[in-house]
Order: sequence, then structure tokens, then C-alpha cells
Amino acid sequence: MSEPDNPRWLDQVSEELREEVPVRAVWRTRLLAEIASAPRPGADDPDVRFEDSSDTIESKDAVELSRGSVWARRIVLHPFAGLAAALAFAAIGAGAMYVMMARGGADATGAKNAGLASSTTDPGGASIPAADVTADQSVVRFELSAPSATRVALVGSFNRWNPTATPLARDPATGKWTVSLRLPAGRHVYAFVVDGDVTADPAAPRAADADFGSANSVVLVSGRSS
Amino acid sequence: MKRVALIVLLTLGPTSLLAQDRSIPTKLAGPTRASLQRLIDSAGVAGLPVDPLYSKAQEGVFRGADDARVLAAVQRLARDLGDARATLGDSASAEEITAGANALRAGVATIDLSRLRETRAKGRHADQRLTVALVVLADLATRGVPPSLAAASVTELVARNVPDGALISFRQTVERDLLDGRSPASALDARTRAFIDDAERRRP
Repeated sequence: MSEPDNPRWLDQVSEELREEVPVRAVWRTRLLAEIASAPRPGADDPDVRFEDSSDTIESKDAVELSRGSVWARRIVLHPFAGLAAALAFAAIGAGAMYVMMARGGADATGAKNAGLASSTTDPGGASIPAADVTADQSVVRFELSAPSATRVALVGSFNRWNPTATPLARDPATGKWTVSLRLPAGRHVYAFVVDGDVTADPAAPRAADADFGSANSVVLVSGRSS
Repeated sequence: MKRVALIVLLTLGPTSLLAQDRSIPTKLAGPTRASLQRLIDSAGVAGLPVDPLYSKAQEGVFRGADDARVLAAVQRLARDLGDARATLGDSASAEEITAGANALRAGVATIDLSRLRETRAKGRHADQRLTVALVVLADLATRGVPPSLAAASVTELVARNVPDGALISFRQTVERDLLDGRSPASALDARTRAFIDDAERRRP
């Protein structure tokens, strides 16, 4: 395997490849004659005319050209430019999806009386469960009125029942603890942990699943699968 | 390159973040974990939803239950899911099966679940899932309403093509009546009649 390391050998191969391939003059003449006699692209379209002197195209109907019937151009894209374009499109798509979800979530949290996905203990607001949204995910607002509590967390099937994963924040003005979560479509079981005690959401449907003590609550997020 | 990685993470983050965690807690002993995994795998092969089974094991660990109790709870849930699927049919969604299992656990009879499914299939909302009706049914039964009465009321409302949103309101009004001290049977009867009357008035 010493040949590829020899620069002289490489030069010889390169020179040989660069040499012009001999073509008979008769063949060359015949080929050029064939090309000259071939019909021009778009020649039978009266709206399109190619100028011999340049690459410009004149047309009475630009729409026809935009359909690509007679126009072709090769675009060479650098691989990194292609990757950047793909990422840009993905980011735009993700951004658009996020905006749509955020709108759906805002509707869901704002429309308590329509019975959308919002967990609240506010007696004036119709609470919980089925989010009437078509997206596969919806922002669900969980709310608990516990003015004397010092720490409230949310545990459920969506956070592995991890009491440190989803703490609620207290609104000093109302004494209500709230958190908003984006949940996938489906039926989710959850409970609040109030100063270490597990308690069901008083405003939500109960689940008949008291295997380990108190029952849990249910929130439904509607979507294609539910 | 770091920027590219950041963009990819930001793009994929919101969806991957919410994926259901299908893992058995490591706090459980090895043999228990192995038994749970076999049970869950069997349920999956049988076409039952497995996410509720993982969730049940995770909940058991969170609540400090011992291994035997966690295993028993997951076994029971798997059995209920199987019964619910057999009752609701192969076309039932994972959420319907889970909600159906919960209704069975609340004491609702399989015959009542079958009746509810058949009623929905004949109605105007036949294309809609039964999940909300099943959640409402389980909730009422859990709150002390006799399961047979709860099933009869919900089935009657579904038969009158009462939409899911109204079923949710129905549950809330019954709950409020119960909190006000009304008896479950009386609250259910009065509210069912009111919702049926309302549905009749709205009929086109």
C-alpha cells in the first residue's frame, strides 16, 4: 500500500485523466449538426421566446413561467447551508406549534365555566375535567385554596408521582396555590401534597383507586386518543 | 455547534418532556420489580394500556407502600383493565379502558358498562368516546351514590344525547347537592330529571 503515498504516481494518473479524449472530426460534426437541428425548448409556445444572445426569457404571461414549464435552474446548496435551512424550518414549525398550543391552553384555562381543563377550588367556577381542545396537548391550570399551607406540590401520573417535581406557587393576595402544566391528551390521575399530606383535589372528579390510602383526582385532556 | 445543539433541544424539548415515564421504581426490591415487569409485559401483549400500571407502581412507592401492596395493587388494576376491555370492546381507546376499569373498581357492574356503551353507540354522539361518561360515573359511585343508580342516570343522559360538557356540569351539581347534605339518591334523581328536561328543551 505504498503506491498512494507516491506523489509521482499520483501526478501521472492525474495527467492521464486530464488528457483530451480523441474524437473523430466526423462524429463531432454530426453531433453538432444534431444539436443545431433539434427543436428549441418552448419553441411552439408563442408566449415564450428565447434570445440567442443571452439567457434572458421574455414572456407575455409570467404565470406560465412560474409554473416551471420551460424554466429550469440547478441550485447548488452547500451541505451546511442545507442543514441550517432544515433547522430553520424545524424551528419555525415548532414555534408555530407552540403558539397554537399556547392559544389552546389560554382558552382552556380561561374558560372555567365551559368545563374545560382547569382545576380550581373556586366555588363560583365550574371546575375541571375534559379539555375541549383538539390538540394533543393542553395547558392545564391546577389551583388549590389553602391559605394556611406553607408548601403545596402536585403529584400524578404525569410526573412519576414525584413530590418535588411540580411545586405550586402561592398568590399572597388570594392565598391560592397554582401551577400550569402542559399535559398530553388522555386521562391523568393526580393529587396535591399539602405540607406533606396527600389530598385529592376537592373540585375534580375522584378516581376510585384508593389502593394506598386516600383516593386521587382525575383530569381529562381531550385529543385524538381520548 | 453548541448553538445548533441548543436549537435542536429547544425544538424537541416540549414534546419529549411530556412522554409518559415507563419505568418501575428502583426503590422496589429486585424480585418485585421483575414480577411487575412480567405482569406489565403480559398486559401489553394482551393489548391493555400499560401506562396506568406503571403509574400505579410509582404511586405506591410515593405513598410508602411495601412491595407486596404495590404488587397487589398493580395486579388488581391489570385485572380491572382486562375486564373493562372485555366489556367495552376491542375498539375502546386506552382512556376508555382505564376509565372503565376505574368505574368497575367503584362498584359499577359490567352489565351496566355494557348498557352504557350500547346506548352511546345508538345515539347522536356515537362517534365520540365514552371516557367522560365513565369518569363521571366512577366519580358519582365514589361519592356514595349507589353504583346501579349512578349507572342508570348516566346512561339515561347519554341516551338523551346530553353532550360531554353537560355531563361534567351534571357531576358538579350532584357533588354540590351532596356537600349541601342532600342524600345521594335524591340528589341524583332531581339532577337527572333537570338535565333531561333541559336536553328536551334544547332538542332541535
